[in-house]
Amino acid sequence: MSLLEIKDLSVEFSARENTVKAVSHVFFKVREGETLGLIGESGSGKSVIGLALLRLLPANANVSGTVLFQGQDLFSLRPSELRKIRGKRISLMPQNPAGALNPVLKNRLQIEEVFEERGIDKKEGMKKSLRLMKKLLLRDPEKLCDLYPHQLSGGMRQRLIACMSLSFEPELMIADEPTKGLDPEAKEGAVELFTKIKNDYGKTMLLITHDLDLALEVCDRIAVMYAGEIVELDKASKVLNAPSHPYTKGLVRAQPRNGLVPLSGQSPSRISLPEGCFFHERCRYSNIECFRKHPEMKNHNGGWIRCHFQSLQ
Amino acid sequence: MKYFIKRVGFMALTIFAVCALTFFLMNVIPGGTAKLVLKHTFVGLEESVTDEQLNQISDKYDLDAPLYLQFFRWIKEAVFRGDIGTSYVFKKPVLYLLALRLPATIQLAVMSMLIAILTGVSLGIYSAIRENKISDHILRIVTLFGVSMPGFWVALLLILIFSLRLKLVPVTGYGSLENLLLPAAALSLHSVAAVMRVTRTSMLETLGQEYIRFAKAKGLPLWKIVSRHALKNAMLPVITVIGFQMGSLLGGAVVIEKIFAWPGIGSLLVDSISARDLPVVQGCVLAIVMMFLFVHFLVDMLYTHLDPRIRYG
Repeated sequence: MSLLEIKDLSVEFSARENTVKAVSHVFFKVREGETLGLIGESGSGKSVIGLALLRLLPANANVSGTVLFQGQDLFSLRPSELRKIRGKRISLMPQNPAGALNPVLKNRLQIEEVFEERGIDKKEGMKKSLRLMKKLLLRDPEKLCDLYPHQLSGGMRQRLIACMSLSFEPELMIADEPTKGLDPEAKEGAVELFTKIKNDYGKTMLLITHDLDLALEVCDRIAVMYAGEIVELDKASKVLNAPSHPYTKGLVRAQPRNGLVPLSGQSPSRISLPEGCFFHERCRYSNIECFRKHPEMKNHNGGWIRCHFQSLQ
Repeated sequence: MKYFIKRVGFMALTIFAVCALTFFLMNVIPGGTAKLVLKHTFVGLEESVTDEQLNQISDKYDLDAPLYLQFFRWIKEAVFRGDIGTSYVFKKPVLYLLALRLPATIQLAVMSMLIAILTGVSLGIYSAIRENKISDHILRIVTLFGVSMPGFWVALLLILIFSLRLKLVPVTGYGSLENLLLPAAALSLHSVAAVMRVTRTSMLETLGQEYIRFAKAKGLPLWKIVSRHALKNAMLPVITVIGFQMGSLLGGAVVIEKIFAWPGIGSLLVDSISARDLPVVQGCVLAIVMMFLFVHFLVDMLYTHLDPRIRYG
């Protein structure tokens, strides 16, 4: 059964006269207990989807479509009802752990407040959080609580944030670029952390990342995003080991261990998107049809792909 | 501690520089001091002043000595005996005169500062939360008038409206709260506007930070996000401006006190300048500078309290 169902989600940002199409017509489902990865290069719209789900986008964002969470439409909820879902049933693990912690408040307060407005005893909540912190490989959690965020290392901050997002045992966790800006060692730690979260808590997770190693390690299924739309969606191992879409192929080849072959060109301007396939300018298989007609999502080998030439591959 | 000593050293240096400047500049103004002193002693009999009397006065106050010697003597007396001179006009120690006037000025300054902080900060927060809504625009236009109108003119308007037309409060007087209201309002108007504008800007910047989004994702209500997460971070630039406003407030008090016949240091300063009562001018400037430095010292101490990342070494 699907826990989260996204139907025709589009996000546009209005900036002066222009509208920037960040996400266009995205459909996907997240099944109970699975980890779905959203991958793609910077600016492909993956983080915007994560924020749109919890209605955390700035006021100039124009969001359309439907998001069903256990059959409940998140976009039609009143603010007070939405607050009951935020952090409790759907939690967000934000990108950039350094920026997500308030620099002038002690860690303890920032952990405690997860339990506020919930009718739960703060002390009980803290106990639970401390246990969780120990499990998430944080040493000396009591001492950590009395420090300020700037006194922690990047990896510690991330664990702390993971702990805040998990302490309510949410039904769905959205992790937004958890390895962004971490050094290789901390990245390995993050892979370990997410494997642990997945195995020990069996959480349903939406993992937004451009770190293909992390995605392959943790995700069950992967959706590849390009210029605001999903171009390929299949089992993680299939997408990353035997990609079908030309863009995914390029993405995989650009990995250091696969030869570091860069994708030529740039992704199209999101103010005026090309008429045909969004990827045709950079695609080495493209021909006249790709230039004229925008491809629809098609079933292919058990997965989904948005390309005119799936028979070629 | 080392920082503290350094800080006090700089304050002493500032005070010395300001005293030296006032002293020498006052002596640059043409017209002999002895003559003026006598004029104030023999009001109406100025014509009968003899050279002998002039010499007597010059001898008494040591006015024929070179300026640097006079200044050196003043400093020596001030530092070692705490005596900052005797008024030529009132024939009383300057310290005594200051002690008489200081409470009134402090009362006025503190009241104006309170008005400026309370209304400025709350209006700024309100304006930031309602960014680009009608109420925000109205507030910003009103405060534009606030920063543009000179205090003395506002003072006259307030007297006209509230004292003469509506007869709500007396025009002048000293001692009760209703006497304090008009001068404090006139004096603080400019600061209210300045504090409100900087609060709005700073608040908007803070509200766009990632930790605010994370706080929203935790499911906290808006008032808690503003009061706990945003306010403390947004206050840093605001208290800097408040510190500077204290300076312009003390400067503005000189005129405002004169208009409302408020028995403070400001009106004493104006009277002494026209009477060329040099020791009193010197004393008033000294008092104002010390108040100003004290406020700035407080502001710097507040920084470390607000932001744990700031530590003075």
